[in-house]
Amino acid sequence: MRTPVNLSVAARRLLALMAVVSITACNRGVDSKTKPTVALVVKTLNNQFFIDMEAGAKAAADSLGLELVVQAPEREIDVERQMQIVENLIQRNVKVLLLVPNGSKEIVPAIVKANAAKIPVVVVDTRVDAATLRADGGRVATFIGSDNEDGGRMAGAFLIERTGGTAKVAVLEGVPGHETADARLRGFRRALTGAAGMQVVASQPANMERDQAFNVTQNILQAHPDITALFACNDVMALGALEAIAAAGKARAISVVGFDAQDDARKAITEKRMAATIAQNPREMGRLAVLTAMRLIKGETVPAEQPVAISLVK
Amino acid sequence: MISRTTLRRIVAGREAGTALGLFVLCLGLWIATPYFATAANLTNVAEQSAIVGVIAIGMTFVILTGGIDLSVGSLVALAGIVIGSALQRGLPVPVAVVAGVTAGVVAGALNGLMVTRGSLPPFIATLGMMSVARGVALMLSDGRPISGFPDGLRVLATSRVMGVPAPVVLMLGLYLFAYIVLTRTVLGRYMYAIGGNEEATSLAGVDVKLYKTFVYAISGLSAGLCAILLVARLNSAQPIAGIGYELDAIAAVVIGGTSLLGGSGSVIGTLIGALIMSVLRNGLNLLGVSSYLQQVAIGVVIIVAVLIDMGLRRRVHRSTR
Repeated sequence: MRTPVNLSVAARRLLALMAVVSITACNRGVDSKTKPTVALVVKTLNNQFFIDMEAGAKAAADSLGLELVVQAPEREIDVERQMQIVENLIQRNVKVLLLVPNGSKEIVPAIVKANAAKIPVVVVDTRVDAATLRADGGRVATFIGSDNEDGGRMAGAFLIERTGGTAKVAVLEGVPGHETADARLRGFRRALTGAAGMQVVASQPANMERDQAFNVTQNILQAHPDITALFACNDVMALGALEAIAAAGKARAISVVGFDAQDDARKAITEKRMAATIAQNPREMGRLAVLTAMRLIKGETVPAEQPVAISLVK
Repeated sequence: MISRTTLRRIVAGREAGTALGLFVLCLGLWIATPYFATAANLTNVAEQSAIVGVIAIGMTFVILTGGIDLSVGSLVALAGIVIGSALQRGLPVPVAVVAGVTAGVVAGALNGLMVTRGSLPPFIATLGMMSVARGVALMLSDGRPISGFPDGLRVLATSRVMGVPAPVVLMLGLYLFAYIVLTRTVLGRYMYAIGGNEEATSLAGVDVKLYKTFVYAISGLSAGLCAILLVARLNSAQPIAGIGYELDAIAAVVIGGTSLLGGSGSVIGTLIGALIMSVLRNGLNLLGVSSYLQQVAIGVVIIVAVLIDMGLRRRVHRSTR
């Protein structure tokens, strides 16, 4: 008598999966047929920067009467998953795709697919590699973002001024090959080439993550206990570095400069634990991206570059 | 008309429940969103399942023999970087691809030797390899992605065979081959025997160590094949690629009804398991479900699938006693 037993198991499996499906089904929200849908795909949603960008975009979408879908891979380094998300949203017939690429070259095939589906692509925050885009015949409607290289230069200039032009410097790099962090690094290094007393003794990637920055900084401090300045390509890493510096009993002996001006970083600066950060404006990026999407839906032309201001917070 | 026994065999089949799960999931998504059940989207889902689907074949072999392979994600990166560096040095595509796959097979065979000759638990041996292979991939590439490859490689991701994307054709071909090996050959019989009772199999005169080493090499091979697809898809080889793929592959195998204790399961189940994961992720994207909730949903499906499978196992055990 095996059949009835297994049938009942099959029925239970059916029920369980129906439950999962119904959880997702009730999440449909506002009927997407009445409002044009715009998708915002960011690098990850476990970084305050992108959560702020999402907030700016949502507020703008609400005021314009657009339906906004925000999606992101679990890990900032997962380009393939981001590509899947873009492919899936293309199937959903979104009107405009607002994209913060996880890989400047790797995301190009996905952009080409959006182009083929006649979905305009607005690139936000991190540039797409122009040569790869050209080679694959992809098109991007506009780029909205900060001048990261100039931000890196500002961070370098600040550390030169703060240390009087003489310091052993450690650098926490981002994910190798990611345009945003690479641009910050370029700017920072360019600023330091003019100051002979500024010596970069260690420059290591911590992949934009807090725990990795903690470990890398701990290791750097073992090898170079005499560093007095540290530049991290984002605040998440700067905060991780601060913890490692505090654990080594070197709090306030090392000037730490981050990037992004997140709330936690601003707080650390007020408490004088951190020296400075470069303020980007992710909310404004999100808002401008959605406004641009609306203009594209209306068939208006938009400028190829839309810079968002940056500033030093100290 | 189907005879009663045939019907009974289908219903009692290990894959039937999993297939029903996939069917219900698709049905639910078809009702929930108009964008799911379109030819373009279903092609898209099949294409997305190919990456993890291919590694999951090797993982099925390993798990069937009672082992585990945690290194496959890193092996994907290593094989990818070997392919990328070879192409960068101007080697022709077939040579580069063979070199990458060979790197996967060699690393996999090393896993197997550590398990069989070194008597290391598979968890430890492959955990070590996970770190070693990742490190070698980072060293070979200087930590940077290698991009921009000739069309000869990219056609593997972009071309279509009668409307079906090439990666899907490759995946299905590999599954068919693995299915034949497991069900129609002595080799396949040995895999189940080793997983069911290694000692008895050894006493029966089967060279268990040889076959177990072979199984890890197969897993390295499937990681290498996956690397070809990934590199072609992204037009870039990344040293940090494939992080977490081992867990996705294990999830596909487990959802597909293969027992982590070894000795029972099938590649068809694994294929369905991989499809369930892709369909779920695709559906959650189409529905615009929050990224956080998506992770919860995927975790719940894995747990529910295994719970049901365990329940089934217990009942079958009881009813045959």
